[in-house]
Amino acid sequence: MDVASVKVGSAMDAVNKVSEVVENDYVKKWKESGGKVLGYACVTTPPEIIDAAGILPYRIRALGNPNTEIADAHLARFNCSFCRSCLQLGLDGTYDFLDGFIETNGCDHLRGMFENWMYVKPADFFHYVKVPHLTTEDAMNYYVEELVFFKEAIEKHFGVEITDDKLKAAIARQEAIRDRLRQIYSMREGSSPSFTGAEALSLFLLASAVPYDDFIELADKAIAERTGTGVTGYRARLMLCGAATDELDLVRAIEDVGALVVTDALCYGARAFWSPVSTEGDLVKSLADTYLKDMLCPRMYEDFPRRRDFVLNEIKKADVDGVMVMHNKFCDVHGVDNVQLRLDLEKRDIPVLQLEKEYGSRADIGRIRTRVQAFLERIGGKS
Amino acid sequence: MSMTVLRKEDALARGFKQGLFDRVTGLFEIIEKLPDVMSDEEVEGLMSVLPADARASLEAMLIPRNREGSLAFMKMACKWLADAKTAPLEGKKSILVPFCFPPELVHCFDNSYPITSEVLSSLGVIALEGRGERYFEMALGLGLPDHICSANAVEVGSMLGSDDFQPQAIISAAVGSCDINSKTHELVANYHGIPLFVLEKPVENTERGREQYQKNFETLITDLEEFLGEELTEEKLRRTCERVNQGNTLMMELWDLHKAVPDPVPNLFALFTYGARYTMWGTEEAIKCVQTMIEISKRRLKEGAYPADREVARCLLTYTSYYFDLAGLFNWMEERGYTYLGDGLDLLFPGMIDTSSRESMIYGLATEAWNMPMTRQVGGHSMSMCWLEDALWASKDLGADCAIYSGHHSCKQTWSVASILRSELMNRAGIPMLSVQGDSWLKRTTPMSVIQKEIDEFIRNVVVPKRSDRRKVRRRAADRVEGGANAG
Repeated sequence: MDVASVKVGSAMDAVNKVSEVVENDYVKKWKESGGKVLGYACVTTPPEIIDAAGILPYRIRALGNPNTEIADAHLARFNCSFCRSCLQLGLDGTYDFLDGFIETNGCDHLRGMFENWMYVKPADFFHYVKVPHLTTEDAMNYYVEELVFFKEAIEKHFGVEITDDKLKAAIARQEAIRDRLRQIYSMREGSSPSFTGAEALSLFLLASAVPYDDFIELADKAIAERTGTGVTGYRARLMLCGAATDELDLVRAIEDVGALVVTDALCYGARAFWSPVSTEGDLVKSLADTYLKDMLCPRMYEDFPRRRDFVLNEIKKADVDGVMVMHNKFCDVHGVDNVQLRLDLEKRDIPVLQLEKEYGSRADIGRIRTRVQAFLERIGGKS
Repeated sequence: MSMTVLRKEDALARGFKQGLFDRVTGLFEIIEKLPDVMSDEEVEGLMSVLPADARASLEAMLIPRNREGSLAFMKMACKWLADAKTAPLEGKKSILVPFCFPPELVHCFDNSYPITSEVLSSLGVIALEGRGERYFEMALGLGLPDHICSANAVEVGSMLGSDDFQPQAIISAAVGSCDINSKTHELVANYHGIPLFVLEKPVENTERGREQYQKNFETLITDLEEFLGEELTEEKLRRTCERVNQGNTLMMELWDLHKAVPDPVPNLFALFTYGARYTMWGTEEAIKCVQTMIEISKRRLKEGAYPADREVARCLLTYTSYYFDLAGLFNWMEERGYTYLGDGLDLLFPGMIDTSSRESMIYGLATEAWNMPMTRQVGGHSMSMCWLEDALWASKDLGADCAIYSGHHSCKQTWSVASILRSELMNRAGIPMLSVQGDSWLKRTTPMSVIQKEIDEFIRNVVVPKRSDRRKVRRRAADRVEGGANAG
């Protein structure tokens, strides 16, 4: 891959610097000025509700942290290492800057992670948003009610009123953030993508870790810098699908051997921003439609065809040569869903590499590189 | 991890044609022909014609103290399997259900029949040579990860990789309480192109959660009526619900018998109790099976019968058990004086269904479903606290000295909060909990000898000394009262 063909701009360097740490300088500045920060982990949590309260929504991440020794005393080795890794950072004090937490029942591991976190280190504010696994009318009504409870809990604890105007403004802000991410992803679809996969992930991580104004400024600079530039010389265009993948080093390792990640269907990625939130009518219902009805996650049932079609559409849009479906060891929802996806894609003669990995494990990187190299040999790819 | 694909056609070419269901029903056709009462000589003769793994299981079940109860259970299982086999020939639709779903709802319909995934896996593990592991491998051959749940994967592997029985629909009732169970059933439905009916448990054990669950349950009934082309009438509901009530009354009686010291209920009956609950509840066969277990237990209570010289420790297993070596776990424990009071799957909380109207019966069935194991505990708002609440209640009600978490490695939800359960059982009730790492259905993961050693060391070095301390504390307290009275 011809890295030199991409201009190394200061904006992208700045983005990478911020994205590689949990408590970044922007968060520190926000806290120093008296701002509150609430942590959430799952894409079924609308950050708009937090934002509307004047609180910074922060998406919990582990950034490939391989250490889990404190967490392992609570969660078991049979729990996914992403959750163990996040719990570790919670219990070792890395996340002490958070003023509270939002739990969702994203998966069994995530539920266990929050229960242990709160058992060992209770937070002043903790709210559980119970998210249905279906999108029937009854389920949607239930979720709408859950979002109202969520809003009320924040209002009560933080002594703020979340008016419709505030919520509308927060939706507009989050929509602007999503719009930048859509633009960044679109700039990867051409034959000379403007961003590598690792850079796109870095920008995605930035979006849910810094205040709105700071993200817009950094993202706009990065977009401006990269407009008209492109990566060439790669061997194949890949799509990443699967479990929680916020590991910048992993994506870099995949791209180091000649692949270029041009799109994805990850929850730390494309699954989180394509669907817009309407500001017409009942705002909470609009949020529910986006964050549940439109959500693409294997935690949902009776919805596999929509997940598969999203992947097929992305393959076409981004001219993908092969798909990597990954899951972290012990992740059930992706471990099983990836099999369904692989079988469906293979029926359509789309090359697939199915990979189980240990989250954050540096020892796994060498093995993964070998598998990716072999996959690139198999699919040939363009140059 | 290697993801070699073993396609169905390859599996068939490699001689895996006969699936688990076919093989298990074949074996049970032999058992069906056995007399209700068997002499030692007849048992010995039967053993001589069985393959090794089936012989080991049947030997465990047919030792004198287990024999009558085991035969009652096996006869019930024979009927369940035989009816499942003939159901399609009679125009009925077979519906695959998980253990955490009340099969009586399916029994209510004339045109359908319930096949319980985990029970089929368990019967395969108990009865088949190789303990059904070849079917688990078929599931892995499809690319499924090795951390999927063998409780389902053994049976489902057979459905995916062999020319086995196929259900016409699947009810998925673990949504909200177990990801791997739900995802596995979703995959099978998509793979075979059959309908999947989802009964979601909202993750809150509140009135609001119960109301939502009721809506979900009623939607399921409407969907089933449409799928089966049959109305669920009041008459059909009443016929089954009355039998459910009979069964539930008996189950409570059996539970109470466990409270006696020493426990007169043979260890293995804990398994038979839920084996009946998960398959034939709402039928005469299940009632007969539980009645037999009660009669035996009452007789043993009267005789003061117990397999060891004394009851050393009363153990509550907090979740699943181990099913690949019945003699090695159930019989071994009670012969050492370790009573198996029951496990998490015995936490059934049976109630009485109001049979006065269609609505009341549907509400009652939904309540049964709501209270099913796993759904009730880890499907609650807090997995740890809802599980703890039930484990604490059962421990106290049955006078447990200790708890054992079998640590079935696929139960990610219980593993994720097992440390909290262990701490709180000790903090709140002084009950120590042993966590064993193993697979409940696959013998290859942790050998029974290792499990035995861990249980043995735990009871001898932790439970018994601790119980002695408690007794000393009680004695000192009693002495003080007595001394005070004398002084007075």
